[in-house]
Parts: sequence; structure tokens; C-alpha cells
Amino acid sequence: RTAVRRRRTLRPGSKAFEGAKDIRDSRGRASGFGALDLGLNGRGSGRVVVERILGEMTVRFVLLVNKQGQTRLAHYNEIVPKAERRQIEGEMVRKCLTRSDKQCSIVEHRGMKVIYRRYASLFFIVGVDEHENELAVHEFIHCVVETLDRHFGNVCELDIMFHLEKAHYILEEMVMNGQIVETNKSIILGQTVMYDPPPEK
Amino acid sequence: MLRTILASPKLDKDKLKEYLIRLMYVEMLGHDASFGYIHAVKATTEHDLALKRVAYLATAQFLDEHHDLIILIVNTVQQDLKDDNYLVVCAALTTICRLVNEDTIPAVLPQVTELLNHPKEHVRKKAVMALHRFHRRAPASVEHLHGKFRQMLCDKDPSVMSAALCALYDLIVDDPKPHKNLVPSFVSILKQIVEHRLPKAYDYHRVPAPFLQVKLLKILAALGAADKAASEEMYSVLSTCLKKAENSGNVGNAIVYECVRTASTIYPSAALLEHCAAAVSRFVSSPSNNLKYVGLESLSGIVNVNPAHAAEHQMAVVDCLTDPDESLRKKTLDLMYAMTKSHNVEVIVEKMLAFLADAQDAHLREETVTRIGTLAERYAPSTQWFIETMNEVFAIGGDVVKPRAINNLMRLIGEGSGDDDADASLRADAARAYAELLRKPKLPKALLEVIVWTLGEYGGLLTGKSNLEVMDMLCDAAETQPEARALAAQTMTACAKLAAQATASGGAPGLSEKASRLVERNLNSEDVDKSQRAREIVHLMREDASVVAAALPRDAGGEDVDVDAATTSIEAYVNRARQRGAAEYRTESERARESERARESERARE
Repeated sequence: RTAVRRRRTLRPGSKAFEGAKDIRDSRGRASGFGALDLGLNGRGSGRVVVERILGEMTVRFVLLVNKQGQTRLAHYNEIVPKAERRQIEGEMVRKCLTRSDKQCSIVEHRGMKVIYRRYASLFFIVGVDEHENELAVHEFIHCVVETLDRHFGNVCELDIMFHLEKAHYILEEMVMNGQIVETNKSIILGQTVMYDPPPEK
Repeated sequence: MLRTILASPKLDKDKLKEYLIRLMYVEMLGHDASFGYIHAVKATTEHDLALKRVAYLATAQFLDEHHDLIILIVNTVQQDLKDDNYLVVCAALTTICRLVNEDTIPAVLPQVTELLNHPKEHVRKKAVMALHRFHRRAPASVEHLHGKFRQMLCDKDPSVMSAALCALYDLIVDDPKPHKNLVPSFVSILKQIVEHRLPKAYDYHRVPAPFLQVKLLKILAALGAADKAASEEMYSVLSTCLKKAENSGNVGNAIVYECVRTASTIYPSAALLEHCAAAVSRFVSSPSNNLKYVGLESLSGIVNVNPAHAAEHQMAVVDCLTDPDESLRKKTLDLMYAMTKSHNVEVIVEKMLAFLADAQDAHLREETVTRIGTLAERYAPSTQWFIETMNEVFAIGGDVVKPRAINNLMRLIGEGSGDDDADASLRADAARAYAELLRKPKLPKALLEVIVWTLGEYGGLLTGKSNLEVMDMLCDAAETQPEARALAAQTMTACAKLAAQATASGGAPGLSEKASRLVERNLNSEDVDKSQRAREIVHLMREDASVVAAALPRDAGGEDVDVDAATTSIEAYVNRARQRGAAEYRTESERARESERARESERARE
């Protein structure tokens, strides 16, 4: 008879793991930013380190939803099936409504970060990737509102409803490929007015 | 109503713009407007700028890059890219950024590349972003243009430079090495921005181009990570940036936050980190929840570089743990996950389990379960603790546990740690704990799998319960999950093992009543695995005790199964067959060659 041999593969708490790199979260990305003892060697490993720490900075969508859950503006930078959009928008609004003013404007939902800001009856909701700078996006929302304000003069929900295409043009100038590209209001608005139809003769 | 209007042949062009916008509305409110897509596509060919622009917008809203109608607009876009009116070009470029896919890139790439030299800065900016999009979709297509991106970085218009930054960031994240020589350029640009050298129009609340600063900081972080030389070039500008951004309101805080993140990513500088630690203190102790959130996030970064900093904020962090704000609680857990070491793992895992019990979001649950698993594996103070923790995890989060974790736990119990006494007591404890758990009315499937297997192997160690009683318990448990096929199969095998053990140690042979019924029910099951097991068990039970013991050996979960590659045991059988004239085995290539030869000789004969 063959001798009995036991495999020993698992040892919780054993020193075997001490050589391992820093703790990775469920997506294999290093939680936090310590890149020091990652033992880089060879070409191309630079990419692995950096990508896992910094990741993509992407704005995934920008939504304007009112308190009743009606979407007033939906600008998606990634492919989301139409059916799912309604669901996401509804969930977002419900989550934002349950939070008090004192609580922070950043929520985690379905694996992405969502930053929202309330202006009277409208919620500005922006969904971003995990590694985006949340405060910067918070300010970006305000920048968008200020730009809309400058264009419409004290913008309100009705303005956006009646001039949906304008609001989109403005957003398209500011965010391209999910990146915040332009925040210079003169440029943004200068471009947007160009697409106005010529005045009636 | 819109459908009929749009279907009519004499469509008023003036109204078309309005109709397209209404179509967008309809879709936004959740209804289907796909009948209108083709009208939007057709309208992109119009000459009227306002109408064309709306048509492009509508197309971008309705379609996505995989839609069939995309091919229809490629031609229009190509034409428009060459238009004299730069606004038309811009509209086309914007649409490219939203709709182009891998297949359509070659159609527009040459034209877009040329537009990098367009006199209008708006066009140049959008051309860069279009190329950025191409890079995201098909990096190979723009490989030859990396030099161009660097050129655009030096464009006199700051907006174009901003676009170039986006593109370069992607390139750098993919592979920082070729771009390390750009560090001085980036440092210089950041310096100029911070010193207010950009036109005033780029200021936002008196802070110069804050979003550009954030982007540059991210780029510097990517370039300086683990690179001492590169990092040293950055310390000065980071310091300046940090100083200027403090006390500049909310936007300033965003910049400070990014500075801290960059500082903790690149090669550490003690002075810079001191400065950052002070900033983080300010965040964590601020009354604003947003700043607390950001403070916790940056603490996670700093703690890896210099653990001492975390100690000062212990009280604040502990407070955040019980804050009513869910986001803060999650952030604190993130921080604690980053800070876990052997001495605090038990406390932290306990907190994480509590969080798991409350969490509703499926993604959050999965993440927490995986994290607990990782921490437990790495820092467990004792195997006993590990098993208890994993039991809890399976009990609370059984729905999102990965199969690998289940297997790990079973392997752990089966293999043991080498110390026979400790192992024996461990397994007895495990068996007892699981027997207790079985009293609960309903357990998650993952946990049940572990329980069934463990009790099958080691149920005999339970004092006070005969093997038959254990078998009954297992069958009852299996009933609570009628859809779990694997579970029924495992229960049968477990019962068989218990029966084997009982026979070997001289106890009452055979399966209990319930177990026998379970096996009989599965004899003709549709599931092949179940029916096979059932039949095997029925036959086995009729065999002699020694056979049963050999087939289902006791406590052999950790033993290797030797596979005899030379198959010596059946050598005698094979030789007898050869003597009788059986053909030798031919490999697949040999067989293929033979059939080729056969076919050729056929053709030759014809």
C-alpha cells in the first residue's frame, strides 16, 4: 500500500504570507497608496503598480433628477442599457433623499462612487470611478451649475426642461470621454451660443 | 403622435429640430423612441448648423458605439471633419468622442490627426480628445501618435494643453517609463499655474485652474511612484502647491487632498509628509462630513507610509465608526482594513462582521466578505479563530461567498496543522460547533456544504450522538435546501462515510432510515451525479466491511491520491489483450496521417 502523505497547503496566520505585497481589495487593487514595498522588477511592472493605485479617472454619468424622481438631464459616458438607466436613476434619488444635509455628499453604490449636490428641488448626481478625487468632483458640480446659471440667468428646473439641448451642449464641452476637460466659462458658453439658430429676420 | 409626424414625407425642417429634442425627452422619461433614431441620423446630413448640431446630439444620446446605425453616420462625420466652418468640425469631433468604436477608428483617424494643426484652438482641443478616445478603444491605432500628444502639451492654448494632459495620463498609467523625461515639463506647468500665469478666465473662485492642478498632481503621482529620482524633482512644486491651496475654500481642499494622495504615492519625503499629515489632521477633525470622508481616505494612504500618524487620530476614527452616516462608516472600515496587523485583526474583523450584517448593497457585501477572508487568512491568531470567523462569515454572507473560500475551509479542517492532538481537538470542536449550528432552522447553502462535509468526515468524533443520529441531522439539513443539487449529493456521500466508520469501529452497520430513503429517492434522479452516487452507495453497503472501509477511508481528506502514470497495475491485462491480437494505440497525429494516406491512394486509383 502506498504511504499516506498529507498535503498542507493552508495555514492561516502563517508567516508564509508575510512576503506578500500590501493588502489588495476585492478587485486586486492595492487599498491605499503605499507603493513602496511592492518589489518592482523588470519592465512593465510599473504599469501594474500605477494602475492599481491610481486607476482610471472617469466620470461615468451626470444626472439631474428632481425630488419626485423625474430625470431632467441624463448624460451617460458609458454604455448603460436604457432599462437599467431608469433603475439606477431611481435608486440614486432614493438614496440621496434619505440622507440628511449634514451627511457627506459621497455615497458608494454598485461599486462606484456617486457624488451628489442638492440645489433647491434638483439633485445633481455624478457617478465616478473609485479613484477619482471626490472633492474635485463636488466642486465640478458647482462649476456646472455656475455655468448654467451664467447662461440662463438664475437657472431653474424649467430652464433646463425647455432648453435641454443647451444644457447638453454645455456638458459636452466640459466633459469629454469622461474627463473634465474645460472649466473656463467664457470658452464653454462662447461655443454653446454659436449653435443657436440665427435670429428671425 | 410623434411617430406619425415623423413618418410623414413632407417633414418641416424647422420643426424637425423640435421633434428631435422631444424624442430625447421621451427616452429620458423611460419610453422607447427607437422609431425616431433613423430620423436623427438622417438629420445629421443637414446643412443648417443648429439642426445638424441637434441631430448629432440626439444621435449621441440614442445610439451607443455598438449600435447598427453607427455605420450610417461615419460618412457624414468624415465629410463634416473637412468642413470650412469650424463649428461643424467641432460638432463632428464631439460626436466622435461619444460614438466611435474600434471598427470606425480607421475611417476617421487620418482626418482627426490632421486637425491637430487646425488654426482654431477649440478644434485642436477636441481633436486631442478624439485621439484619446481612440487610445481607450484601440491603443494600437494611435501608437504612432504618442509624440504628437507631447507636442500638444506645449500648445499655446491652455485648453488644448488640458486635453493633452488627459491623453498623456492614460499613456503614463499604461507604462510610465517612456514618459519619465516629461517630469520637468509637468513640474514647470504646475508651477506656472500655481503662480497665476494662466489667463484670469481659467480661475475658479480665485484658485487658478484647480481641475488642471488636480490632473497634473495625478500625473506626477503616476510618474513618481517608487522612483526616487523622479520624486525628488517634484517635492518643491508639491510643497508650493500645498501651501497655496490651503485656506482657499472648498476647491483648495480638493487640491490639498490630491497633494496628499500624490505625496503618499511617490517616494516619501519626510518634510512633505509632515506637511500632509497636518492637512489630514485638519480634515479628520473638521465638522464637515465631506472633509472627514476625505480625511479618512487620505489617512489610508499615509498609514502605509508612516503608521505613527494614525495613532493621533484614533479617537476621531473610532467616532466615525459609529457615525450615522453610512459612507463614513464604510470609509473607516477601508482605513482599518489598510491598517490591519496581527495584533488588531480580531477587533477589526469583528467590526467588519457587524458591518456585513447591516449592509444591503450586494457589491459592498461581496467586497466585505472577500476582505474578511483575506484578513483572516493572513493574520489569524489561531486556526480555531479562523474556523469560527469563517463560520460566521458563511452564516451572515453565505450568498456572496466565493466557492474558493468554502473549499479552503474544508481543506483546512481536513489537512490540519500537523500536530495530531491539536488536530483531533480542532476537528472535534468543529464537529460540535457544526452540530450545534444544525439546530437552526435555515442556514445558507455555503455553510451547509462545509457542515455536511465536516460531519461526514468527523461526525464520529461527536460524543453523545451515534452515527445514525448524525446521518439523520444531515438529511434534515439537506431537506431545507431542496434546490441545491450538490448539497444532496454531498449529504449522501457524508452518510455513506459515517456508515463506513460505524462499521469499521464495530458499531451498527448500514445507513439510518432517513439516509436510506434519501439514497433510494436519488437512485433514478435526473442528475447523473446524484444517481451515480446513490447507486454506488447501495452496492457498497452490501459489501463486506473491509471493502467499505477501503472505499471510504477515515480521515483521509488530506491524503494525496497517487496516480500511477505507468499503469503497472493493468499491465498484465494489456499484455493478455495484445496476445489475443488487439491493436496498439495510435496517437491522433498518426491516425490523421493514416487517413490522409488512405485518401491519397483512393484518388490515385481513380
